[in-house]
Amino acid sequence: MKIYLINDLQRLQQHLAKNYQFHQVVTNSDGQCHWQQIASETTKPVVHDPLIYEKPQSSAKAFFFTEQEKVLVFNGEFFQETIPTPKPFVLFGVQSCDLTAIHYQDKFFKDDPYYQARRQQCLLVGLDCITPCEHGFCPTVNAGPGVKDGYADIILHPLANKQWLVIEQTNKGAQALKDLVFTETHWHYLTQRDLVLHQCEKEFPDDKYITDGIQKINSDEISSEFWRKLAIQCLGCSGCTTLCPTCSCYGTRAIKQDNNHFSQQRFWDSCLYEGFQREASFNNPSAEAGTRVQRFWQHKFGDEFFTEFSRHGCVGCGRCEQTCPGVIGIHSVMKRLTEERGQKNGQEDTNA
Amino acid sequence: MLNHIPDSIELVDYIDDGEQARHYHFRLLNLKIGQNKNHQHNWQQVQPGQFFMLNVPSVGEAPFTFTEPPNEQGEFRAFIRQMGQVTSALFTMQRGDILGARGPFGSGWPLDKINNNNTLIVAGGCGLAPLVTLIDKLADSLMDKPENKQKLVLVYAARNKATQMLTPERARWQKQIKIFNTLDEYPNASDEYPNASDDASDELPVTTVEGSPLIILPKALSTFTSPPTTALLCGPEVMMNSIATYLTEYGMASDAIFLALERRMHCAVGLCGHCYINHQYVCKSGPTFSWQTLQQLKGL
Repeated sequence: MKIYLINDLQRLQQHLAKNYQFHQVVTNSDGQCHWQQIASETTKPVVHDPLIYEKPQSSAKAFFFTEQEKVLVFNGEFFQETIPTPKPFVLFGVQSCDLTAIHYQDKFFKDDPYYQARRQQCLLVGLDCITPCEHGFCPTVNAGPGVKDGYADIILHPLANKQWLVIEQTNKGAQALKDLVFTETHWHYLTQRDLVLHQCEKEFPDDKYITDGIQKINSDEISSEFWRKLAIQCLGCSGCTTLCPTCSCYGTRAIKQDNNHFSQQRFWDSCLYEGFQREASFNNPSAEAGTRVQRFWQHKFGDEFFTEFSRHGCVGCGRCEQTCPGVIGIHSVMKRLTEERGQKNGQEDTNA
Repeated sequence: MLNHIPDSIELVDYIDDGEQARHYHFRLLNLKIGQNKNHQHNWQQVQPGQFFMLNVPSVGEAPFTFTEPPNEQGEFRAFIRQMGQVTSALFTMQRGDILGARGPFGSGWPLDKINNNNTLIVAGGCGLAPLVTLIDKLADSLMDKPENKQKLVLVYAARNKATQMLTPERARWQKQIKIFNTLDEYPNASDEYPNASDDASDELPVTTVEGSPLIILPKALSTFTSPPTTALLCGPEVMMNSIATYLTEYGMASDAIFLALERRMHCAVGLCGHCYINHQYVCKSGPTFSWQTLQQLKGL
């Protein structure tokens, strides 16, 4: 693993833009941050410094698990797979929470040909966060603020005086950097990085209610009445599941064409929609909003899922809090969970 | 990599059986099992209780169970009730039309536990369909020894006579195993007795009573010379729940009672997220679960 100290980040950006479709987070005229392709083969790269104090509205999940994906076509006789063939692309400046989510989905979609076809074409340039972001709590769920080893191909770490530490992480990253003549720097910068990240961690507000809430979710102490009341505020808008970097539920639909031909698409679905589990017979195991909301949080923080994925399904980005119009994002839910007195199966616990 | 792509199948034939329900006969198109490398799915290895995804072109996919697994000519059968968009479109399709199928998926019935032991089967409505291949298999193996007939007892529950399904199968089994029927709406005395047998010489009498299958359970259980070691349930969840509760109170271990669940599914390979119960995917870990597992999952 090589580390470089560079003054001119644009040189790196322009170099990568020559070999990859170049995507980076930009701020639009409304002040909102989002991922955008800012250079292609035909346009000259216009590159900006990565945004280090804000996170994009949406994570990077749509680059791999796309909002809509054609999975097959039928010609009246045979079904044929439609694997995407994207050109190599770079995501420049992916923050640690979103990289952790990509790592999580890499595991979940490890045998999915559509996800993998896109994922394998991608170079991930990670970006260390050196200040907490609004609603973020990545340290609490072991997802930041620094990029975890192996979660990106290259890590960028901002230093003072507009200098950057560039850390190679994978062979893919090393290949991407190989024609650039950068000066390798001393290992002590990594110690400096650790100190900065440690300091950043300390600056996050106290969120013990989150760890307490996670414990409660797994404790069997929470009554269905609690979830029912909470779910009164769920509008079933899918804002949380759309923006959640690890949410991956999908539906499928047929797109009819002429001559009995059709294509089949998969598209992002949401477990918070009333009809998500509804069967053709109208039997619906999660007809109650409370059941759906509980199922969602169980999926994010259930011990069983932790065992399977070696981490929680939440990466601490806080986007659900930011977007939920019913104010039942992560912080609100966890605070209410910890305030919930010991109740079980709708019965007041007299020992509470 | 996972294969999301169906194999083409031909609708060979169908016959009506019960209320808005049909036996469908399909054939893998231009393919003979084991002879064509273009074959995408492992159709040779279908276990009783497993399912496949039927793709009705331009409409969608839904899971169905096999009532007869694919043979060497790639022919297989399924019992399908008209219910939603996919099945409604299927019911308009003609013989010779082409559809898609992928599978088999899921874990079937626990054959190792059943293995020649006393087995009670309780099915409701078209919940009998996932049990057809199993009952056929078990009934055939018991045929040689008449004393073994009591080793397998079927309780079949339906709303009324019109919703009793899989008539040919039940008629066939009548010669092989003891069957109890229950009907929520019992016919008038003047009506024909359901499932009356004209030729009772080598058939076990079918007992039919009014009410839920719970009513007939004591009698069904007393048929066994020694208590059943395995119970297999498939039908509405409320029914399965009450039967499983009854059987555990009767003394059966919760890991000896198995339930086949139905869930909405889009992928059948553990990705789409529609079918999971707690952390278990019904499409992969199920659709057959032990009562013990479902209670741990707080699944029903």
